[in-house]
Amino acid sequence: MALATQQQVEELADKITECADSIHARLIQAIKRKEIDQSAAQSIFQDEAILRQRANSLYLDATNCVVEGLAESQEEMLGLIDTAKEKIKTISKIAGLIDLIADLLVLAATAYAAKPGSILAALKEVKEDMVAL
Amino acid sequence: MHAMRIARVLLLTFALAGCANLKEVRDYAGEAAKLSAYTELTTRFRDTYEREQPYLFGEAERLAQENDKKRKAAYADLLKIHQRVSLYMQTLARLAGEDTFDLTPEIGSLASGIKAYPDLGIEAKQVDAVANIAKVITKWITSSYQEHAVRSMIKEGDADLQATLEGMTALVRYYKKTNDNERKTVLGFFEVEIPYADAPKDRLLATLARAHVQAKTAEYKNAQLKYAAAEQGIKSIAEGHKRLLENIDKLSHAEVKSMIGKFAKDIKAMRENLQAVHG
Repeated sequence: MALATQQQVEELADKITECADSIHARLIQAIKRKEIDQSAAQSIFQDEAILRQRANSLYLDATNCVVEGLAESQEEMLGLIDTAKEKIKTISKIAGLIDLIADLLVLAATAYAAKPGSILAALKEVKEDMVAL
Repeated sequence: MHAMRIARVLLLTFALAGCANLKEVRDYAGEAAKLSAYTELTTRFRDTYEREQPYLFGEAERLAQENDKKRKAAYADLLKIHQRVSLYMQTLARLAGEDTFDLTPEIGSLASGIKAYPDLGIEAKQVDAVANIAKVITKWITSSYQEHAVRSMIKEGDADLQATLEGMTALVRYYKKTNDNERKTVLGFFEVEIPYADAPKDRLLATLARAHVQAKTAEYKNAQLKYAAAEQGIKSIAEGHKRLLENIDKLSHAEVKSMIGKFAKDIKAMRENLQAVHG
């Protein structure tokens, strides 16, 4: 449904609602003046209720029209959000890289000091950093 | 590292840093809560039939049931629209966040790591000096990267965000008009029936009915305010993003002064650190 049609649907629904409003005003006037009995009043009110339901059904059509119309924009926005998340991830990777360098330095230093226990511990840190990247 | 090369890098990043006032972006993105009324109203829209059902008979009720089915079918998609906008604003806030692009903690722990091994033959004060220089440089580089990323997102996101917000405005209007018909059906029913309950034996019934009308009238008045709030919230978010987009390439006097001030402080710190390195 084109945008123009969406507006037309809303306008039609508005008109039908206005009709129902007019019927209601006339009905209440008739009741006040005791021009009709209860059974007739109920019947007219039912007609009014039917009109309002039809108007609401048209508003629903216009609603679905909006949802369909936004499908493309929604996809575009998802794309933008993903791009931004990637950029945030890139910086995290750089942070991770700096962590990796720190751990490599510790590894080098412990190797220099020839302490097997700390070498193993340092190797484990490095491995974890690489997996995180 | 030569002072000249460092100065050149800093000048370049300053030029690239552009004009996104990140605080303004963060503040804007934090206003996403203004859209929460839309979600509440979407749920209210879905539940229309439950509220009108007692007052409907025959053909009108049959039509109402059909409408109910259609509303329930559309509900998930209607909520998704809001979720996407929320997510966009949350991501924008993170992208413009103060800590998101801050690498100083990592550089700090790298420095600590080096200092813990005197065998490496580097003096602690030299390590600190180099770390401080690295902090400044990465701060300016990531800051430029961040501002670029934020500007991109705002520029590229505006058209789709505005289209979505326009759609949401129309949807709130349809919700409101549907609610108007619901209200007129419910209150109208009593308007028609109560006059016929005027006999003395109907006094209890008539009184109960009038009390119920009072309660319902208050309920609909309350709902009315929510539609207005939702419309206002959507409008405000739309205008806010438009303003961000307009100001994105402008740099105010105050911002320039503040940037130059920070820059000067960083150069001074770097000079001191360079002396410590060579010292």
